[in-house]
Amino acid sequence: MSQFRQLAFAAALLLPALAAVSGPGVHAEDKVTIGVSLPQDDNPFYIGMLKGIRARAAELGWDVTTVSSNEDKLKQINGVQDLVAKGVKGILISPIDAVGVNAAYDAAAAGKIPIVSLARGSTSPNQTIHVAMDEVQVGRDIAEWTAKKIGGKGKVAMIMGPSGAPTFRNLAQGYNEVLSKYPDIQVVFKTDGPMTRERGLKNAEDALVANPDLKAIYAANDDLALGAMQAVLAANKNGQTIVTGMNGVPPALKAVKEGNVAMTVELNPVLWGRLGVDVLATYLKGDKVEPRVFIKHVIIDSSNVDDVLAKMAPPKT
Amino acid sequence: MKSNSRVGRLSWSGQAPLITLVVLCVVTALLTSRFLSPLNLTNILVQSSIMAVIAMGMTFVIIGGGFDLSVGSTVALSGCIAAMVMIRYGIAAGVVSGVLAGAGVGLANGVVIAALRVNPFIATLGSMVLVRGVVYIITGGAPVSGEDGLPGAFVAFGNARLFGVHYLVWVPAVLLVVLSVLLSSTPYGRRIYATGGNKEAAYLSGVAVERIVASTYVWCGALAGLAGVMLAARLQSGQPTAGEFYELTAIAAVVLGGASLHGGEGALYKSVIGVFIMIVLGNGLNLLNVDSYWQRVAVGAVIVAAAAADRLRSRN
Repeated sequence: MSQFRQLAFAAALLLPALAAVSGPGVHAEDKVTIGVSLPQDDNPFYIGMLKGIRARAAELGWDVTTVSSNEDKLKQINGVQDLVAKGVKGILISPIDAVGVNAAYDAAAAGKIPIVSLARGSTSPNQTIHVAMDEVQVGRDIAEWTAKKIGGKGKVAMIMGPSGAPTFRNLAQGYNEVLSKYPDIQVVFKTDGPMTRERGLKNAEDALVANPDLKAIYAANDDLALGAMQAVLAANKNGQTIVTGMNGVPPALKAVKEGNVAMTVELNPVLWGRLGVDVLATYLKGDKVEPRVFIKHVIIDSSNVDDVLAKMAPPKT
Repeated sequence: MKSNSRVGRLSWSGQAPLITLVVLCVVTALLTSRFLSPLNLTNILVQSSIMAVIAMGMTFVIIGGGFDLSVGSTVALSGCIAAMVMIRYGIAAGVVSGVLAGAGVGLANGVVIAALRVNPFIATLGSMVLVRGVVYIITGGAPVSGEDGLPGAFVAFGNARLFGVHYLVWVPAVLLVVLSVLLSSTPYGRRIYATGGNKEAAYLSGVAVERIVASTYVWCGALAGLAGVMLAARLQSGQPTAGEFYELTAIAAVVLGGASLHGGEGALYKSVIGVFIMIVLGNGLNLLNVDSYWQRVAVGAVIVAAAAADRLRSRN
């Protein structure tokens, strides 16, 4: 017989089988279901965020439906459309791009469903709430910490993020704002570009060659910081030139513990996810929520890195 | 299985993709009442529209006995060029240059494959990487949306409707009618089938096979370019990372639609049905709350099943 009929038959079996695998497909109508759309399924940051969302939703007795996008903007729009068609009560999204997935926000608005951005934000007027990191404040905090550490004077290099990304512009703005209050601190080196360890290394090498008396290197995230750290170690400047990072990823925390990266800022994705659910819950109750809600950030340096690492370690059995 | 009569086989096998799609829809509709809601059906049409345009272009190439891996990169190139030109010179200039950029990539592919006789897999693998590089160079890796965004009318094209149907859906609908006539009812169309089916025989009967093969790549590139323009409207910006892996989805859809990877077989409407199968599968899995990791398993299984069906059929 036709193989196509077998194919059709296989397709017919596939859906119910998969539905069975991932739990009941039909939920009681009165139970609140929220939809979640994150940029990646396999990034530790978003895995942590989803963990936080699921945990907080379970505490509230909510169901969570996820759609994946794998950094494909059209797929993210399509996924959100599917969530709207499914009739979820609210959507948590971390948009891949500030403009590119605005159609997803339009779809939610057309379905009269609140849509809350987590971490990354959107320019869409239909964004209900943005749960963000206070980027400018993080930049200020890094600068204050650095200025104190180097005694308020000396040369500083800045290895910044991609020029187009608002997050990194805001970070640098806060950083510069604080440093401008210290007349004896000069920013002698500034670059922007991709967030890779390789670039951190190369730029820090150049900065150190041009300025052997460099006191501090600002790196816009931990990958850049880990690269810059390699350059500092190779130049035997450890202790003379400090490196600051941002994000609090595990290899950076290890470097802080070893004293090779001076400080980083922890953005806890699990807490971010939980906060997103809480913000949505408040909104759905009808209470007023500010359009921008900030997540707390924690500065991690040698004084508290042990506590942070202990919290992250899997519980001993 | 042998009890099926020959007559039965003939009447079924031609419409197998349609049957697959209907079965898929019925099963999904039985499992969730949301599937047949007007909103969801509209969503499916819009979600299928851009891939349908790419798959139609891919159908030209595959019927002609070729293969094109560069369409995803072409989508990004055309979208970015359209956005850049449009910001300065207006919507019409942007759209035209986007489509022409795609046709240019297709022409380059076609010349390399038909005249230099480079294997299409390798040639288009090369252009896939090369074109993506060009996209990053001209955009500096950043999305293109200008100071105040793309022109309002263009953004509206990505979301607005005409007679209740999205503009994005009208494009493949009109193309499907026009290009189907071209493929099945003109001497040019029949030459594409003849070349893909048996190049030697086509050559001996006087078909300029090189030119025919090259022309299929131009169609494929131009349609990918048009899809890139549509995607730019949908994303309200030209996105240098857009269209990654679209080539694989397009090829899978064309094969799901019953076209043979050996060439000489296939139809545009069947490829569009193949696109619907892929989109409905993803939509159904989303509505049924199937975990995203399992979704990959499902989509992969469908592609393997389609390839196996193609293989078994060519053996018959």
